Amino acid sequence: MFRTTIIASLLALSTAVPVLAQTMAPSIDTPVTIRFYNYNLATAGLGAEATQKLINEFMAENPNVTVEGVGYSSADSSRIQADLAAGQAVDVVQTVFSDLDFSVNNFGAQALEDIAPAAEITAHLEGMHPNGTKLGVLNGKTYGLAYTFSTPVLFYNADLFRAAGLDPDSPPKTWADIKTAALAIEDKTDAEGFTGGITGPGAVDWLLQGVVRSNNGEVISRDRKTLKFAEPEAVEAVAMLRDLYDAGVYENYDFAGAVDGMASGHLGMYLQTSALQGSLVAGAKDNYELRSAAMPQFGDRPTRPNNSGSALTIHTTDPLKQRAAWELMKFLTSEHGYTIITSEIGYLPLRPSIVEDERYLKAWVAEHPLVAPNLEQLDRLEPWDPMPGPNYRQIGKTMMDAVEMSIFGGADVAATLADAQANAQALMP
Amino acid sequence: MTTDALARPVRVRTAPLRRISSQSGLNTAAGHLLMVLLSIFCLFPVYWMLVSSFRPANAMFETSLWPTQGSLENYTTAIDAIPIARMLLNTLVFSAVSTVFQLLTGILAAFAFARWKFPFDKLVYTGVALTWLVPFQVVMIPNYLLVAHMGLLDSILALILPNIAAALAIMLLAQAMRGFPKEVIEAARMDGASNWRILWEVLVPNLRGTIASLAILIFISTWNEYFWPLLLSRTAENSVIQIGIQMFMTAEGNAWGPLMAASTLASLPVLVIYVVLQRQVVQSFMKSGIR
Repeated sequence: MFRTTIIASLLALSTAVPVLAQTMAPSIDTPVTIRFYNYNLATAGLGAEATQKLINEFMAENPNVTVEGVGYSSADSSRIQADLAAGQAVDVVQTVFSDLDFSVNNFGAQALEDIAPAAEITAHLEGMHPNGTKLGVLNGKTYGLAYTFSTPVLFYNADLFRAAGLDPDSPPKTWADIKTAALAIEDKTDAEGFTGGITGPGAVDWLLQGVVRSNNGEVISRDRKTLKFAEPEAVEAVAMLRDLYDAGVYENYDFAGAVDGMASGHLGMYLQTSALQGSLVAGAKDNYELRSAAMPQFGDRPTRPNNSGSALTIHTTDPLKQRAAWELMKFLTSEHGYTIITSEIGYLPLRPSIVEDERYLKAWVAEHPLVAPNLEQLDRLEPWDPMPGPNYRQIGKTMMDAVEMSIFGGADVAATLADAQANAQALMP
Repeated sequence: MTTDALARPVRVRTAPLRRISSQSGLNTAAGHLLMVLLSIFCLFPVYWMLVSSFRPANAMFETSLWPTQGSLENYTTAIDAIPIARMLLNTLVFSAVSTVFQLLTGILAAFAFARWKFPFDKLVYTGVALTWLVPFQVVMIPNYLLVAHMGLLDSILALILPNIAAALAIMLLAQAMRGFPKEVIEAARMDGASNWRILWEVLVPNLRGTIASLAILIFISTWNEYFWPLLLSRTAENSVIQIGIQMFMTAEGNAWGPLMAASTLASLPVLVIYVVLQRQVVQSFMKSGIR
């Protein structure tokens, strides 16, 4: 009897799975409005223009769909929380990768496998870089498709390199090279050597994860149950950054200070997201030669860069809206979508073939060589792991504060990270 | 002799007077110099904002006092990127209406607390005072849910609603009314004036200084309000200028030129109001003792 029940249950489940996998409507036959929460739309920058342009194009191609763009601050997602509490429709969201776990467990982000036909998912992912499609995967399911994302890029001032007696055609490859080059810049020019967007207000942990991984460490285990940022590899990576600071070549700037320092030509090297390319190019114009290189590695170990940025997540449970949201998602992550995102905002195209395609990015890439290191790192891209549970932000902040104190605050690196890890682990679900 | 006696003190007195006069002049000059330096210190950021608003992006970090490549491009970019005029109008309406309502509710409530004894009056007053200590973040979501259920999301009315009464206004005005001479009020009452007339024809006219300074405080703090509009406003057309300015600070870098241009334009209305009402503003602050 028991066995029969189990078999019956399995049979029921097996018939239910295809149904679950196709909850969305097969097509959009009636007018539908979806709300797209997008942090680029809360700005007046290039990101907002490009986003609105894409939305307008999508609506022109899909006359039955109206996309209502809602700008929100990604710093705290308070608008999404408030709107969900108020019963407002939250249909599609541009979700920062570090918020993905919270978004799935608290904002109702839907796994694509649960709502979209498998064949459609497979067809859409065709042509995407396999490393890129993993970025939005959590617990084995694809909750997000990488939308605006990049890898860490080392921007450097070629004029300062020349003035310091360095060869700008051979940019630093290792952290040791960074130290040497930064010391030369500090010694022979009035400029400062190096800074990175690893710490500071609003930095979150995306760059830190890449730096620690590149030293074969992790800040959190791959099953996201155990914090590991106090383990020897991570401690060694942070200690290396501390050494740069102690040597007087790593400037303790916040985001705006670092961008402004680099844009104004007073900083030799800056490790940050390629999304800043537009701002830096505008500052460098007629002032100095801006170049870019891949993120530095530890000795001869290849780097393990991870992504910054955001994914698109579908939150609606309404079948028609799900279809509209899926169509929007497909449009935004299409060849054309990534062409706009890359050329007009500065993020990375997840479809490598469009870089060689004259219809898309070929001409643009030829005119913008700064994007080359970003593209090259796509082959080694690893996901920016989100911290789990409702305390994810506090876990991240505890870790980042400890890293900052270790680098700039004179604190003992190993002890500070160990203490912070013990505190943060207690906040893990 | 008398002349001498008179003359001698005159001679004796003239020298210290000169010393005092020259010392006083020195003190005045030093005071003026200090004030000039402080004025420059205060005005320089405003000047730098203005100058930076004319600089192109690649000259934004020049340290020259005058832009070497001045243009109006930042202003056209800012005006194209955000609806500045609409946002300024929204901010003006938001600030002005909030100020009027806070003053009105404050005057009425303060009068009740100051003039009447009623059951639990001190408890109610303490309750009002305690609301001053509650951070906005605590009531933000309940307020949001309320205006959402009222269908007022993304509207100026929703921005105004939580600002129609404030503990600060009630407490400040209640204190001022408590300090008002009782004899004057009793005299008015003996002349047959009702409470309504006493309030509006005796108290309010005599508390002009306090009310004016409070109005300025409320207006400026509402003008600078950021967090509530950030949560509530969904479109730039229905938002306020502080949100508009912040929109130039992005994850892709800060657009300093348009940001400075927008800040300059945003400062103009308040600056004009201040210049026109400068004397009244200073006097009201001096009279009310609020600095």
